[in-house]
Amino acid sequence: MSQNNSLTGSGQDLTSSGNRAQWEDARTALKPSTPSRKPKPPKTENAITIGVSARVLFNMEKEQHIYEQQGMESYIKYQVEHETQPFSPGPAFSFVKALEAVNTQLRELYPESEELFDVVLMTQNHAHVGLRLINTINHHQLFIERFCMTGGNSPIGYLKAYHTDLYLSADPVKVREALEEGIAAATMFTPEKMAEVSETQLRVAFDGDAVLFSDESERIYKAHGLDKFFEHEKAHENKLLDHGPLKGFLEVLGKLQKKFYGKGQRMDCPIRTYLVTARSAASSGTRALKTLRSWGLEIDEALFLAGAPKGPMLEKIRPHIFFDDQMFHIEGAAEMGTVACHVPYGIGQRVIKREMNDKETSSAPK
Amino acid sequence: MTSTIRNTDVKQKDAEHAVVVAVTTRAVFESGADDGDGLHGMGVAFPLLQALQRVNKRLLEENPAESLLFDVVLITTDSQQQQQSSSITSSTRHYGLEVGRFCFSSQEDFIESLLKNDVQLFLSTDRNEALQASQKGVLSAVLDQQVAPSEQLRVMLCGDAVVRPDTGPVPESQQAAQSFSARLGSMRRRFGMLDSPLSIVLVTSSGGRESCSVALRTLRSRGLSVDEAYSLAGAPRSPILSVLRPHFLLSDGVID
Repeated sequence: MSQNNSLTGSGQDLTSSGNRAQWEDARTALKPSTPSRKPKPPKTENAITIGVSARVLFNMEKEQHIYEQQGMESYIKYQVEHETQPFSPGPAFSFVKALEAVNTQLRELYPESEELFDVVLMTQNHAHVGLRLINTINHHQLFIERFCMTGGNSPIGYLKAYHTDLYLSADPVKVREALEEGIAAATMFTPEKMAEVSETQLRVAFDGDAVLFSDESERIYKAHGLDKFFEHEKAHENKLLDHGPLKGFLEVLGKLQKKFYGKGQRMDCPIRTYLVTARSAASSGTRALKTLRSWGLEIDEALFLAGAPKGPMLEKIRPHIFFDDQMFHIEGAAEMGTVACHVPYGIGQRVIKREMNDKETSSAPK
Repeated sequence: MTSTIRNTDVKQKDAEHAVVVAVTTRAVFESGADDGDGLHGMGVAFPLLQALQRVNKRLLEENPAESLLFDVVLITTDSQQQQQSSSITSSTRHYGLEVGRFCFSSQEDFIESLLKNDVQLFLSTDRNEALQASQKGVLSAVLDQQVAPSEQLRVMLCGDAVVRPDTGPVPESQQAAQSFSARLGSMRRRFGMLDSPLSIVLVTSSGGRESCSVALRTLRSRGLSVDEAYSLAGAPRSPILSVLRPHFLLSDGVID
């Protein structure tokens, strides 16, 4: 197999077994020519760590198909044969680019600070696919320096070792495992057609119940119906909702937003957050807003849809990412071009789990 | 005065093709005198030996005529252990360890023993011993107590460059590392992607993805394809070690 290094800009052949000096020469030769010095990745304890799997960062549909139809050996063979062919962007790509745009602006305002996003590629793929993944990262000029290619083992232990603040994967099993370990996680779906999103402002949209908040209110709704739900919410208006799995992520976004406000960038803040909830403003919305306020969390826009479909609203907002616990809303969002991520948490999941057990097929390494 | 004794309980490996791994008796058996019944307790290297044995077993399952096997040598590195030859051999027999040879040497001459026995990898719990052997051109690694060791043999390679003077010869231990990598690579290729009894894990601590990319290519050019790769880009290594669970770490011939 050829050692074609065209993507990294060097034709140096590494087939002669090298000594240390050759290794170092090779490293210099392979470095892509960047005009400025590359910034160092932040220390893990200071950074906001976002773990993304290979299949959500890049489009690996073809390869996934090969794995499912022909098995692991053929899949690896195909990957290695196409090592110099970069993957095209996947659903998480524009989200990652937006995170990098925020980092650039943060570095300008706070050059000494390490409170930055750190995107880590967390894949269950074998390292045989490693060079293709690295070549692709180089090709798209993504700032990803950390990765874990676990060769078939679960990435969950590594997520914890890196203090991961958010994990995105195409595999619902791994997402559920991560949630069980207390890591904010969601299963990302690819919309048929991806709507255009901003390259300078990161937009993150959240559902309320069972995402930012616990699923306690949903339980009432499911058990006793809508009227009882409204009654309950009104009666407990001043009682805080318990927190949900994505509350921590909203919190870190808020922390970064305050850094921009501190430098006078409130109106055109590079981060914007949205609450898109089926709750209605008049009856059940108050409790949600009061809870957020007492948590010290600001959300830029709260959209109470009173049960109306979320797709059209999201199409107007154009978030880079939208989190919801109900597949019905995920599908609706994806239909209209929004990158929607399912948070498999709470009472809404019982039915889903049963369906999944019926038709779960083994999935490729991500 | 060293002496090498063959273990007649175990079928001898083909000297030309076997990968000779020497492990100190202090690592294999608990130090101190035997507990009265002539037997030593199990030491830190036990899970490693069992993993090596499992690899051999699977290699022979794939090909009963396989000659690329691990040939384990137990070596004493001080005179105290050197005196305990009978309890060492009987303990080995008791635990059914697949040990090909015993080398009874002392502090002064254990390296000579390693060289005479064509040892390709030397493992010790004593860092100084490993350093000394490495300086004499024998690929060496330090063994540590393992938390929850895996059944699968997990070899970790540290892919970073260790600062070396620009002038000066390539250490012999680096040549040893290269040839060991190639043989490990051949062994690994006897198995498929899934359910391999051995896994090669590459970790680069600094330098980012380019560093890891160079390491992957260099190892591949030596004939070794890695199973797992981790680029830490400055993140600390210890949180990940307990998840990685390597049996030992190799650093391209230089102890770090």
